[in-house]
Order: sequence, then structure tokens, then C-alpha cells
Amino acid sequence: MAKLEIKNLHAEVEGNKILRGVNLTINGGETHAIMGPNGTGKSTLASVVMGHPKYTVTEGEILLDGDNVLDMDVDERARAGLFLGMQAPAEVPGVTNSDFIKTAMNARLEEGKKVKLFSFIKEYDKAVQDLKMNDDLPHRYLNEGFSGGEKKRNEILQMKMLKPKFAILDEIDSGLDVDALKIVGENVTGMKSDDLGLLLITHYQRLLDYISADRVHVMMKGRLVKSGGMDIIERIDSEGYDWIKQEVGIEDERVLPKEDEERTVLGTCATKEALDL
Amino acid sequence: MIHYTKNPLIDDSIPENIQPLIDEDITQFLILKDGHIIGQSVDHIEGVYIENFDEALSQKRDLIETLDNEHNNPADSYQYVKDNATSGLVIHVTKNTVVDDTLHVFVVQEEHDLVHNTIVVCDDNTELNYIEYYVNNNPASNNIVTQSFVGENARLSYTTVNQFDQKSVLNIIRNGRVKRYGELTYNIAEVSDALSDVTTNVQLIEPYAKSYVKTVAITNQQQEARFEQLVEHLAHHTEGYIENYGVSSDTSALVFEGIGKIHKHMKQSVARQQNRGIVLSRKARLDANPLLLIDEYDVIASHGAAIGKIDEEQLYYLMSRGLSKRNAERLIINGFLSPVLDALDSDALKSVFVNSVERKTQDL
Repeated sequence: MAKLEIKNLHAEVEGNKILRGVNLTINGGETHAIMGPNGTGKSTLASVVMGHPKYTVTEGEILLDGDNVLDMDVDERARAGLFLGMQAPAEVPGVTNSDFIKTAMNARLEEGKKVKLFSFIKEYDKAVQDLKMNDDLPHRYLNEGFSGGEKKRNEILQMKMLKPKFAILDEIDSGLDVDALKIVGENVTGMKSDDLGLLLITHYQRLLDYISADRVHVMMKGRLVKSGGMDIIERIDSEGYDWIKQEVGIEDERVLPKEDEERTVLGTCATKEALDL
Repeated sequence: MIHYTKNPLIDDSIPENIQPLIDEDITQFLILKDGHIIGQSVDHIEGVYIENFDEALSQKRDLIETLDNEHNNPADSYQYVKDNATSGLVIHVTKNTVVDDTLHVFVVQEEHDLVHNTIVVCDDNTELNYIEYYVNNNPASNNIVTQSFVGENARLSYTTVNQFDQKSVLNIIRNGRVKRYGELTYNIAEVSDALSDVTTNVQLIEPYAKSYVKTVAITNQQQEARFEQLVEHLAHHTEGYIENYGVSSDTSALVFEGIGKIHKHMKQSVARQQNRGIVLSRKARLDANPLLLIDEYDVIASHGAAIGKIDEEQLYYLMSRGLSKRNAERLIINGFLSPVLDALDSDALKSVFVNSVERKTQDL
């Protein structure tokens, strides 16, 4: 069975320490959820696992079936079976969705082999229908001019086509209306199997109404501070995060301290103030 | 005066690099080699006159000279081609003719230097979709002038792909003139390896005339290339749009000079311009100089340029789906240069374009 292990992971961006010792093991077939307030390092964790060039890992390791993920380039990680459904996927003008996904599927095959065009089209059309997207999707440019909801659904569509071993869905629920959330939830649940490990990153419990999680973790200050079952979610939903903060003795849950806002009085010129005139 | 001399044709066979392009997508075509028509689709197009330049000069001298007086470009290279042309075509779409099928013209340089003059005249209320492809088969100096006249309420879509090799030099001047409610669209794909100096001039001479000038260009190795687009507003309520997309790699240098010029009293005119560029190597160079020359208050105008490396976020996104860096870059560049690709309506020509881009970025 596939296994993703994150051990004592520390990472920073532009000299700011964000992750401060994350430990997490996900087995194939399991669904984990990470919750937590804004600015606690949830999305950073997702980006670091995928290998975003902006982040530097300073300590710890990530293993996929025992192989060192940190040694791999982004594309190697993907081909090894990792998938990240992104919070804000890039727009790539001039590259059609179908060309892109076809190239991505071909990249997973041996040199010289290609996906069969007919079965590809059939599979793609089916996925488009499952996610209730428009028929013109294959010919539209990758995420260009997509609404927030369309982008998120397109991420799930790609996941369907690429069939990863481990998928991290980073706030896949943000920007989705109730109907779209239901569609996304159903599709993700439909993909669940013993071969798929899932990590959901979310602010709200509502995503977990549609995709049930086996384990729930709460992230604060760049660490997973509490883990448990679905019961944690219910309590967060009704009481917020304060009880957890008290339990683990944290006052400010954010990784980076809040910057003091500079205020200026209306009627005075900000430039003048800055120049100390 | 316009002169024309014909060089002797040594071999009238269709060159190997043109044959595969004449596929079933192409119904109307003409092949010109060293100034001689060596191949042509069988069907005559109703309402359209197409002739070799020397034939046309004897049959339509009045028309050609009137147009020439109307639009005289003082540039040396323009005058040179006028006096010394040895290759050329005249296409005349007569009044009220809408041509349904795209007309493809293939111009081949074989034995002689190319001194080429094409005139496309679209009379009032006409519509033509014209695609031309230039290629050289031997090292040569290539001088090309093309002139388009778009009449009242006429539409001309003028798409051009040229592929001159490293051992040749290239000078192109395209002139376009657009009358009332006329619309002229240039889709220009510059995938040559030659040292190039290319100018596209559009004059909007009557109210409500409109023009789109879209250029994609890619340079590599030690190539130097300069592309100028000038849209002149010579009447009120005219609209001109310039879009440039460039990619430069290795130690090449690519320059875009876009100019939107609105003369005094040409009220309510619109001049917009956008330049985008990707620089692929440390030593490559890409300049965009978007100019607006405006001598009237009541207008809408904008210009902009954005040049940089391949977008890191796009690269990361594609790679996160398993594409190798090389493949991801190729896909992004092809996508970036696609705005003109869509205007090519034959798959064979599309692949000529895509293969050229591929070839020019292979050292990435």
C-alpha cells in the first residue's frame, strides 16, 4: 500500500520560517483533512510537498513509498503519483485544456508511447460531464478567463484524468457555490479507493459534509497541533478555534506576526508625512 | 513608373517543401517560383482576377498606376522593388464579391534573388481571406513589397508566414489602405532565421475604417530582426489595434516598433497597442517600443509592453502535472505565439509554424 510520510518538516519563504516541524503520515485509502485559521501554514505545506520553487526546506523529509520526495523535481513528483489541486491555478493562454492534459498523460507513459486518442476523448468527455462543465472546455485555453468555480472544477477534472496516488486539495471549496461544492464533493468521493490517499486543506467544515475524512488535523504556528476524528470539526464549527489555542497554549496562531497598520489622518498628505515635512 | 522583368525559369517542378502543404484543406491556391506561376488550383474564382505581375501590368496598368500614385512610399527599399521586381502577383477582387474559400499563395525563391511585389485590391463590398507563405531554397537577398487596398465596407484578412533561412537577408514592406467601413486584418507570423527588417504600414484613410495588426515573431541564434507596425489615422472615427508577441532566444535580438499615429482633427479615433515578450536566454534581447503619436484630444488610446522570462507560476503549474521542464516551456511558448496560429486554416501550414517554433527553441 502506498504511503506518504512527512517528518519534522521545516520550510521557509524569503527568510521567513513558515513550517516548523510538521509530522504527518497518510496511507493509501485514507482521507485526512487539515483545518486551521488563515496564515498558519496550511497552503505552504501543500506547496512544499509539490515542490513550489518559492519555498526552501530547511529540515525534515518527505517520503513517498520510502523514496525521498525532496530530491525530486516538481514534474518527477507528479509522475511519482503526487497531485496538488491548487488554490489559485495559473492561467496559460494559447494552451488548450485537452492538449495540456493529453501531454500530461503522455508524460506518464514510456518514451515513444502515447495515449490512444479515441479513448482519451471518451474519458475526457465523461469527466467534463461528471463535473457538469461546458462542452467547449477541451478547446478553451487552460484556466484563461475561468471563474473561480470553473478553475476549481478543472483541477478536479485533471485529477480524474491523471489518477494520482496521493492528492492534496488546497482549499478546493473556496469560491464554489453550494451546487458546485456538491459536484466537486461527489466527484472526489467517487474517486476514493484503497489506492488513493487524500489530503484536504480547508477553512470550513462544509467541504467535509461531502467528503468524509478519516482523520482531522488542526494547524497553528506552522505545526499540526491537534489531531482527531470528525468530532473535532463539529466543535470547531460551533466554538471556533479558541479552545484549541487554550489547550495547546497559543495566543497568536499565525506563523508571521501581524504587521502594524500604518495609518494616516485624512486631510494630511501621506507623501508629506513620509518625508517628515 | 513600375517596372517588371522576368527571370528565366530553370525548373518548373513544385519544390519538395511546398508539395506537402497542398493538402485537402487547401482548395484555392497558387504557386509562384522565381516569378513564374508553376501551379494553380483548377477552379476559377468568380469575380477574382489573379495574374502574374507582368501579365497584370499589360492588362491592368491603369489600375496599378492609379493605386501606386495614391500610395507612394518614399522608402528606398520600396522604390527598389518597384523598379526591379522580378516576381509578383496582382489579385483583384471585384466589387460585391465575397470569396468563401481562403486563397493560398506560395512564393518560392529558387535561383534568383527575390524581388517581389504583390498587390491585393479588394473593391467595395468584398471579402477575402488571403494566406501567403514565403520560402527560400537558396541563399538570397529577399525584398518584398505587398500592397493591400481595402475598399468601402470590404474585409481583407491577410495572413502571412515566412520562412527564410539563416543565409539570406529579408526586407519586407507591407502597405495597407482602408476606406470607409473597411476592415484590414494582418496576421503576421515571422518564423524566419534570416536577418530581417519588416515594416507593416496601415493607413486608415476614411471614417470608420478599422485595422488589426497582429504579429508573432521568434528569433534565435545570432539572428537580428526588427518589426515595425505603423497605423496611421487619417480620418475621424477610425480604429487601429496593434498586438505584438515575441520570443527571443540564444544571442538573438528582436525589436518591435509599434506606432499608433492619430493626426489632428481625427476625432473619436481609437489607437490601442499591446506588446508581450518572452526572453529565453541571458544573452538574448527583446525590445518593444510602443509609441503613440497623437495630435487630437478627443481620442481613445492605450499602449503597453510586458517582457520577461517564462512565467514561473505557469511553469510550476504545468510541471506539477508531470510535464518535464522542457515540455512545459515548449507548450507555454507555443501557446504564447498562438494568436496568429488560429488564422491559419490548414493543418499543414499550422504544423509548418509549430515546427518552426520548435526548431527555433530546440536548444532551450
